[in-house]
Amino acid sequence: MAAEHRRGNASWSIDWRLVAATFVLVAIALHLSPPLVAFAIIEVMIFALYASALNLLLSYSGMVSFGHAVYFGLGAYGLAITIAKFGWPMWAGVVAGPLVSAFFGLVYGALCVQLTAIYAAMLTLACAEITFAIVFQWFDFTGGDSGISGHVPAMMGLSPAWFGMVVLVVVTICILALWRVVHAPLGLTIRAVGENPVRAAAMGHGRKRVQLAAFVISAFLSGVAGTLYGIFHGNVFPEYVGVLFTIDGLVMVLLGGLYSFGAGIYGAIVYKLLDNVMAHYFEYWQLVIGVILVLVVLVSPAGIAGLVSTVAARLRGRAG
Amino acid sequence: MTAAPAPGNAAAALEVRGLVKRFGQFVALDGVDLRVAPREVRAVIGPNGAGKTTLINVLGGQLVADRGTVEVHGRRLGRQHPHQVAKLGVGRTFQISSTFRRMTVLDNMLYAHHAGGGRWFGLDAARLRRLREPAIAGLETIGLTHCADQVVDDVSHGDRKRLEFGMVLATRPTLLLLDEPTAGMGLGERQELIELVLSVARERGLTLVFVEHDIDAVFRAAESITVMALGRVFAEGTPDEIAGNAEVQEIYLGGRR
Repeated sequence: MAAEHRRGNASWSIDWRLVAATFVLVAIALHLSPPLVAFAIIEVMIFALYASALNLLLSYSGMVSFGHAVYFGLGAYGLAITIAKFGWPMWAGVVAGPLVSAFFGLVYGALCVQLTAIYAAMLTLACAEITFAIVFQWFDFTGGDSGISGHVPAMMGLSPAWFGMVVLVVVTICILALWRVVHAPLGLTIRAVGENPVRAAAMGHGRKRVQLAAFVISAFLSGVAGTLYGIFHGNVFPEYVGVLFTIDGLVMVLLGGLYSFGAGIYGAIVYKLLDNVMAHYFEYWQLVIGVILVLVVLVSPAGIAGLVSTVAARLRGRAG
Repeated sequence: MTAAPAPGNAAAALEVRGLVKRFGQFVALDGVDLRVAPREVRAVIGPNGAGKTTLINVLGGQLVADRGTVEVHGRRLGRQHPHQVAKLGVGRTFQISSTFRRMTVLDNMLYAHHAGGGRWFGLDAARLRRLREPAIAGLETIGLTHCADQVVDDVSHGDRKRLEFGMVLATRPTLLLLDEPTAGMGLGERQELIELVLSVARERGLTLVFVEHDIDAVFRAAESITVMALGRVFAEGTPDEIAGNAEVQEIYLGGRR
């Protein structure tokens, strides 16, 4: 019987060899690359975390967030305001960033889970617009449209390679933690409620508090990504909580492939690669992203993740 | 909140009085009374639109009645949400089987055992590993070990119905509400499932209320039958009594021919 269910079992445990290999490869790449490439790798890692956090909502919890940049950006604002406005040390800012995001995730999430489907999604958009307006206009506290800078040295004063190592460690820990959440009892509840709230309720699990828990976790991890981003650039602007950063995250998850854990990671890699490469050659490169996205939705809704698992299955089949 | 059970009612597993449910102008339930004893196997039959599914939905908390009361084991249901009703020991299946179609059959069962534990949070993956054994045993009970690793979307309609039943069992209900458990199944499959349901209900001492269109299954399985029509209880009795009731013959059994 045990052998019969091995496949199901394997997909639930972490493939440590894969994690270690990826970690080592990225570390080597960071140290061998010229600064510009290292910057790109750092950006990919930060967005991989942000998109993975958003993916918890999209793929598992049955929610859509049309304003997730709020929780990303507020991480950077939490960091900046704690240091620049309250005069606290840097470590306090680093702790405050994700907590500010989680707090807003709790407040906005508690509102949004009162509704379902597109109505809940519209409410996430409304919360995001309100937040953007406040951040943009409250000049004394947030720096308004000129943002805040100079509160931390960009990359903490480290070299791109070593700041990249910090980001690599933090992002790896966060994504492993997210894996644990998804594959723990809590994650199973989130997936069940997200897929079929009527059935889950009939089994004793109410929808709202489960979705709220997912929302807060997602906001917290987005906040970690945003905090890293704020340190990376040594600044924060209203754009960080704006609609473009929201769309970036959504596109990454869709590109990566819904209903797979790796969606955010794959999506961030491909999207940022296209961003960095194509922007040099083609002014309207986002048009290309648009076309690719339409193709993904039409041809392969499982996205890049679907492609990866197909190829992996092929390879495994050949090996075995 | 918990009204003291009225005298003489303490023994009932399910006690429904004067239940009314309207959808706009349409009266789906028009004063339904129902009393089901513990461990009783009760079938609810009636023509389409009689209010059978509406009744089950009110009992399960999916719908809120406009008037009337429901007591489960002497505990009054108010405006509880479905998950709160479930916690009172009421398990149910749906007319169109309701499972988690993107998950594997085993993961569905694993979730059911997790839900049966009562907690929804927790980060201890080992707890899920400990649930694998009971989950596989649960699949054995309903005869679905052969497709344990298949995604539910890929298994047959009948297997999904079976799975849903098995999942509800895993939450250890005391009152089981089945809305057309065999709808859309083949004849052989139907008999197997009904026999499975009966044997499990007997073994675990469950109270069973099931809506069913398959008249043969009803008369074979049920200890008592409630006939509904136009949102009311039209007749009630043992299978023999119902079979001998001329009015029932006319409005329902005869109407099918």
